[in-house]
Parts: sequence; structure tokens; C-alpha cells
Amino acid sequence: MGHYVVRRLLQAIPLMFIISIFLYALVNLAPGGPLAGRGTSKRLNPEQIAILKRQFGLDKPVCVRYVYWLIGNDWTKMVEEIPAPGVGISSTIIKCIDPRTYLLTESQGIGKGVLRGDFGNSYRTRKPVLDSIKTAFKNSAYLMSITLTIVAIIAIPVGVISAVKQYSIFDIIVTTLSFIGQAIPEFWLGLILILIFYVWLKNPLTGDPLLPPGGMYTQGMTFSLIDWTKHLILPVTMGVVGWVTWYSRFLRSSMLDVIHQDYVRTARAKGLTLNKVYFKHALRNALLPLVTIFALDLPYIFAGSLYVEILFSWPGMGRLYYQAAIDRDYPMLMAILTIITLVVIFSNLLADIIYAKLDPRIHYD
Amino acid sequence: MNKRSSWFTILAILVMIGLLSAGCATETEAPAVEQPVPETEETAPAEDPAPTEAAEKSQITIVLAEDPPTFNGAINQSGFDILVMELTMLGLADVDEVGNAFPELAVELPTVDNGGVVIDEENGTMDVTWKLRQDINWEDGAPVTAEDVVFTYDAVTDEETGYWIPGIDYVDSVEKIDDYTAVVHYNAIYPGYLTQFGGYLMVIWPAHYCDAEQGFAAWDCGLDPLSNGPYVLKEWVQNDHLTFERNPNYYEAGKPTIDEIVAKIIPDEAVRKQMLINGDADLDMWTPENIVFELQDEPNVEVSLSTVDRWVMRIFFNLAAKGTTDPVVSPHPINSDLRVRQAIQMAIDTQTIADTFWFGYAKQVWTEFFRPPYNVCDIPKPVYDPEAAKALLEEAGWIDQDGDGVRECHGCTTGAEEGYKMEMEFITYSEYGETLDLTQEYIAEQLGELGIKLTISRVEGTVLWESTENGGIEQSGNFDFDIWDDGYSGSDPTDFLWGYYTTAAAEPDWGLNYGRYMNPKIDDLVDQSYTLDEDLRKDVFCQMATILNRDLPELLLFTTVDANAHSTRLQGVQSNANEIVTWNSADWTLK
Repeated sequence: MGHYVVRRLLQAIPLMFIISIFLYALVNLAPGGPLAGRGTSKRLNPEQIAILKRQFGLDKPVCVRYVYWLIGNDWTKMVEEIPAPGVGISSTIIKCIDPRTYLLTESQGIGKGVLRGDFGNSYRTRKPVLDSIKTAFKNSAYLMSITLTIVAIIAIPVGVISAVKQYSIFDIIVTTLSFIGQAIPEFWLGLILILIFYVWLKNPLTGDPLLPPGGMYTQGMTFSLIDWTKHLILPVTMGVVGWVTWYSRFLRSSMLDVIHQDYVRTARAKGLTLNKVYFKHALRNALLPLVTIFALDLPYIFAGSLYVEILFSWPGMGRLYYQAAIDRDYPMLMAILTIITLVVIFSNLLADIIYAKLDPRIHYD
Repeated sequence: MNKRSSWFTILAILVMIGLLSAGCATETEAPAVEQPVPETEETAPAEDPAPTEAAEKSQITIVLAEDPPTFNGAINQSGFDILVMELTMLGLADVDEVGNAFPELAVELPTVDNGGVVIDEENGTMDVTWKLRQDINWEDGAPVTAEDVVFTYDAVTDEETGYWIPGIDYVDSVEKIDDYTAVVHYNAIYPGYLTQFGGYLMVIWPAHYCDAEQGFAAWDCGLDPLSNGPYVLKEWVQNDHLTFERNPNYYEAGKPTIDEIVAKIIPDEAVRKQMLINGDADLDMWTPENIVFELQDEPNVEVSLSTVDRWVMRIFFNLAAKGTTDPVVSPHPINSDLRVRQAIQMAIDTQTIADTFWFGYAKQVWTEFFRPPYNVCDIPKPVYDPEAAKALLEEAGWIDQDGDGVRECHGCTTGAEEGYKMEMEFITYSEYGETLDLTQEYIAEQLGELGIKLTISRVEGTVLWESTENGGIEQSGNFDFDIWDDGYSGSDPTDFLWGYYTTAAAEPDWGLNYGRYMNPKIDDLVDQSYTLDEDLRKDVFCQMATILNRDLPELLLFTTVDANAHSTRLQGVQSNANEIVTWNSADWTLK
């Protein structure tokens, strides 16, 4: 297993490199750009646009920008005027293969590059993108980890009971609710929750709305577990509904597969109680694929949920990414996408490791 | 690792992450920028009737759709940055709700009459002398001086780290005469001089606090400003809220009266509306027309409408063939005929659009000169007459001979081939929302009845307005027919007119003349309008209005309202189409 993990980690390096090239190209070559709107109702001319491009580092070909993004540009040599890369050479491709394009700059670069932990400055705030990401990540992780925990706590017993008591009233109700839960648009559900708990229902003692419409806590109030919990209820509910229906359906299906296996029949024939058969023998095996899926869903903890964050004014990763996409804030977009890619790669590895540990039939070495 | 412990491990990880995040996700501080110790030992005038500690703080909540990028409104111009900038900082002069400039840091507005403006007729230049008030200090106690004015100009015009602001090309230098006097030397006559270092985009920045090397667009003081305005930034939790406290040293005695302003970031429009109704918010910035309509019967909410409108919803005709930018070499096969543009104007029922989709808050306009002081031109209001429009198209050689409901060129004079179909793409930007979407659809429907088939497209603003290099649709001329809104702040339209109607601005990336309208007479008139002679300007603008009404390079439809909904307890809010609603926050009171 140790060799396998090392091999996978080594494989992740070129994979990450290739993905970063694709991401960088996609982000930078998408229609629009960060300069749009900067100049509405104004007379920005090409010279002024050139100054802005230089400030944003957009005055270089995209290949050079990628290299600087990756390894920084603090090693470049400052010259007053960059010589043309060869006589008559103007195509971007030839610029990309001319080392002088990378080495010579008109102003000294200060970027250290992603490999040295510098993801650059946001075009929106002109400050390091990691500062914004750290704050947003904490908020998203807080919300999403609680959501996923509750999902696991609800979905597992519901899925098991639904399978064990197949076609019972409970199963029919759960199945119906699952389909409804999956069919409800997430955004609509959030609005309905706000309507019920913020607009309609009032605290009988104070007359205030029963639950706040958004935010993480009440501004100006010292830390209060009750206050933080009240702010969590609606966004967590909105997130939980969709996930629980998906997970419980998946577990029901997995459990149904398992309880019809021979060894379960054998266990029952040996006279074990139903509880022991289902929860000691069947459940463990039914959980195997779910563990994998659960591990693969871990990146959501980082990425957050855009709808939940917009509707409930939650200052998390989803909103940060959305704003960056609107603004074409390339450094912010690349930082978020790169970190999510890393999380996805490691979640995949984690899923493989857990699967091998849980299922003795799986061997990687 | 056995199976049970794996599950426990995953759950434990989740719970740990949640708990740790909860611990960490508490309030973050405003960007840490050490405040330098002021060199002067002067303290601010203590005119402040500050409330006693025992008294309960008065507080209001503003709800915003987005986090402000910075406090420097000139850079991103998102509106949210301007809102917080206006709370904390002052310019030399600002603009009131009817478009008149008024002094902020300045003692008075410099004019020719009071000697503040000296014109060199021979060279076509002018000098503007700004005398600063001596009773305004930064929040650290240092006085606001002419040094700050020079510093701000130098920062804006720095070749490496500067940023362009309107009219800055006309400034040669800014000179400090004494601590409280600065002279701006212009290389031309610039009518917009009053709000160049003020207005809704600019303020004066503190020389002793901002780091010039970081640059105007990127300096830390843009995130942690040193206030000289009515409020001081106390806390900024990114994407969540900003808290402002009243500036106890604000120069206007007894103002502001509200102790604390919290600006909460509430992205969803429906939630913002409900917070207003429930009394959890006191001010919603830029309330859209449909929400204004829904709020009209709410007892706890009032809506402040701008007294003068600014933003005009307008149709841009591309006069050059789609994908090109020279209407002389390659005229647009449909739009280049004036009769077609006139027919389109006649076929759009602007009044119904304004009343139906814009809930009666839109006002029909048909000339750029609809605002005081230049609303003196006699331009006839266009008449909605679809039958006359059809006749005009027939006359122009656009006839539906095959009976498919779409006209074809049969003898048209635009250079289009015989049989060329009258089909065009009709673009708008997606961010505006439902009201504009419905307007676009209605116009497409009306022109469809006329025999002009429009295919509707909606694109992001960033795609529509980008430079040619990045494939910007407008700058590349890659459109037939667009609708969106724009207008100018204040009372000086000269820069705006230059940007939209001159030949120089038709050059890709040089201006906003996306339709590539070229008329030497207009160029000449715009040049003439760069004067301080108000009578001459009115005459010049009326000549322009007549020509533009005749040539119809753009089709002006109606103004959109500048509305800000607020709680009834918050008094003094006045929407200002030339500014952001916080322009007079020092005057707000609580009932």
C-alpha cells in the first residue's frame, strides 16, 4: 500500500501540471476579460488600456503568463525596451518559444509563482488571493462539514431501514419523499424556507422572525452558540435535503444488493438475529461503495455551494468563485480551481485507500 | 483500519473541520495596515456633540448585493465601492441630486467670476485654483492640505501604477501654492473641471498615509482608508459586512447624527426586500423597478427616487457591416439606411414598455439633452406609428415579396444583395435582469410585426464591452443591433458626447462610438462645447441635438429610475442619479 500511495502521489504531479495548463488556457481564453467595464462612460484609449494590462500582467502572451503564474517572474531581467523576438517575428507561437520573451521585462516582476505558494493578487482588490480564499474556505468548510455530517447521520439509517423493510409504508414514504427532495429546485426550496421561517413564523415571546434570513451570526453580538446555530439551520436544511435523498437512495439500493447475497442467507440460517445480520454483516458491505462516494464528495467541503451561499448570504467559496468569474479575476479563478483540483486528486486517492482497507479483496501492490 | 473505524474517522474529520471552521470563521479584521503616526500634533477641532457612552447607539443597516472591491471608486466602479467611499472620504467637490456641483474640501467652487478660473484664450488653456477648507482633518488628526491634492494627481498619472480618470488628459500638472491652495493647470478648456477631483468617482487621498509606491489602484489605503468624511471604517469582514462609526471630528458641526452604519452583503434581491419589510434593513441600494413597485404599499418602507434621471436605455445601430468597423467601406446591409432606423423608431411603442415592464418608473426620452441645464432644445417627440413605419420600409426598398413575414431587399440602397433578408441579431447584457429581458423580447416582437426578424441574444457585460483583443462584441463591431443603458453624471455632457458620437471615438478601442457614426459637423460641435461659455454651450448642444435627431445613430428610448428603498425611520435619504445614495449620509437622521 505504501508503494501504491507514493506512486499515486508521483503520478499526481504531471497530472496536476497538465490540468493546470488546461485550466489556465480555459480561464484566459474565455470570451470577455478583466478590463471590460473599466472605462464605461469614459474615454479609455489603447494607451490607457496598455497601462492597465501591464498592471494586471496581461501585456504578455498567455504562454508567458502561465510560466510566470507557475514559477513567478521575480527572476526576470529588467530592460528598458524588449527587443522584438527575431526579425519579422510576431506570431504568438514564436514568441512563446523565444526565451527572451520570458526573461526580459520592462518592469521588475515580484511574483513568486504557484510553486512557491504565491497565487498572485486579485484583479478586484489587488491583494493576495490566498487571503480571501482562506477566509472563504473556513466559512464554507464550517457550513459544508456540518451539512455532510447531518447527511450521513440521517441518510444511513433511513437507507438501511428502507431496504430492510422494502415496500413497507416507511419505504414508500421515504421513496416518495426522496423523489420529491430530488425534484425540488434547490434555490426554490431555500426561498420557501425563508418565507416560512423568516416571514411567516414568529417567535411568540419576542415577535421577531423565528430564524434569521442569512449570515453566519448576528453582527455586534458576542459569540453565542444559540445565535450561530440559528443562522445554520436554514442553509444546512437547504443543503441536507438534496444530499440525504441521494445518499439514502444509494444506500437502499446497495443494501438491497447485499441482503440477497448467499452469506446473508447463511447467517440467517445459522439463527442469527435479524439485527445482527443486517447491521453487523450486511451494512458493513453495503457501506463500501458509499464510503467511496462520500470520500469523492469531500471536495464540496472546499468548494461550497453557490445557491446556499447566495440565498443565505454565506460568505463562502461558492460566492467568491462566482464573483471572480463575473469579474474575470484570473488569479482568483486559477487559485480556486487549482486548489479544488488538488483536493479532488487527493480525495480520489483517499477513496482508493479507504476502499482497499475496507475490502480485503482489493490489492494495489 | 477496520470498517467501523473508517467511518468514525470520516465523521470525526467532518466534525473536526466544522468545529475548527466555526472557531476560525469568526469575524476577520479589516486588512491590516498600520496607521502611521501623524507628523503634526494638531488635533481635530472638538466641535463634536458626541453622544454619551451610556446612551444607546443609533444604528442603521444598509443591504448591498456585493462586497465592495475596495474604497477606491475610480478603479472598479462597481457602485458598491463608491458607496463606501462616499461614507468615508471627500473630494474637492461633489454633485447634488439635480446635477449641480457643491464644494466639499474646497472653500468654494472656483469660477471665472470669483477668479478661481483663469482662462488663456490665446493658448486655449486654463488654470483652476482650489482653496481648501482649513478645518478638515483626516481621522488621525492630520489636516487635509494641498499636498494631498498634488499627491492624488501624481498617483493617478503615474505611468506605471496610475489609472485613468475622466479629463485627466487635459491636465498638465497640479501645483501646490501653499498648504491650503492648489492650482490645476489645464492644457485645454475643460468644462468638467469642477468634479474632476471629486464627483462620484474621485476623492482626495492622504499623502502621509497612502504608499505611493504601491500605486493608486493597488495601495493598501484603498482597503483600509483614512477617513475625512462623515464615517470611519471600524470593521470589514469580507463578503459579510462592513461597520462604520460616525467620525467625531467631521467638519460639519453636529453631523452625522447616526452613530453606526452596518453595510451587510445580501446577494439575493428577494431577501433584501424582505429584510426591509421586516425592519431588519434600513436602506437597499439600487432597488430595481419591480421591487419598487412591490414595496409601494409597505407601511415601513419608503422609496427615494432620483429627481433627475441619468441612465438612458438606448438602441445602438451598427452602421458598419457586422464584424467590421468602417461604415464607409462596408456599410451595414440594413441599418445604414436612415429610413430603416427611422422606421424602427416609429415601430417601437416606448410608452407601453415604460408603463408595463418598467412599472411606470421609466420616462420616455428622445434626445441626449433632456436634463437641466441643457434641456432647452426643441426636439419633437417621436410618434408611435407602425403603419407609417411599414410605408417607410417599403419606400426604402424593403418588401416582403415571398410572404414569409420577413422583408427582403428589393431595390434597397444599402448595398445589400437583391433578396437579402431583413434579419438581425439583437443583443443585450444578461446582468440587468428581467425588466430588460422583457423589453428586448417586446421590441423583437414589435419589429417582427414590421417584418424585421430579430434573433435575441444575451451575453455577459464583460463579453459585450471588452476590448477588440479579447473579442469584445461592441468594440469589434460584431453586432447588428444592441440595447443597453448609459448616461453621464453631473451636468457636463462633453466627455460623454465625445465618447459616443465623435469620429475619433469610432476607432476600435478608442471610445464608445460602437455604431461607428461619423459626422464632421458633430466632431466640430463637440470641440466647440469644450468651453465655459454657458450660452455658447447651450447653442452648440441644441445644434447637436438637431443633427443627432436627424441622423439617428442611436435610438434613445427611456430613462431608468435611480431608486433606493429605505425604512421610514431613516430620514434624509435622497437618491441621486449623479452619485451614490450615500452622497449625503452626513445629513441622514433617525426618526
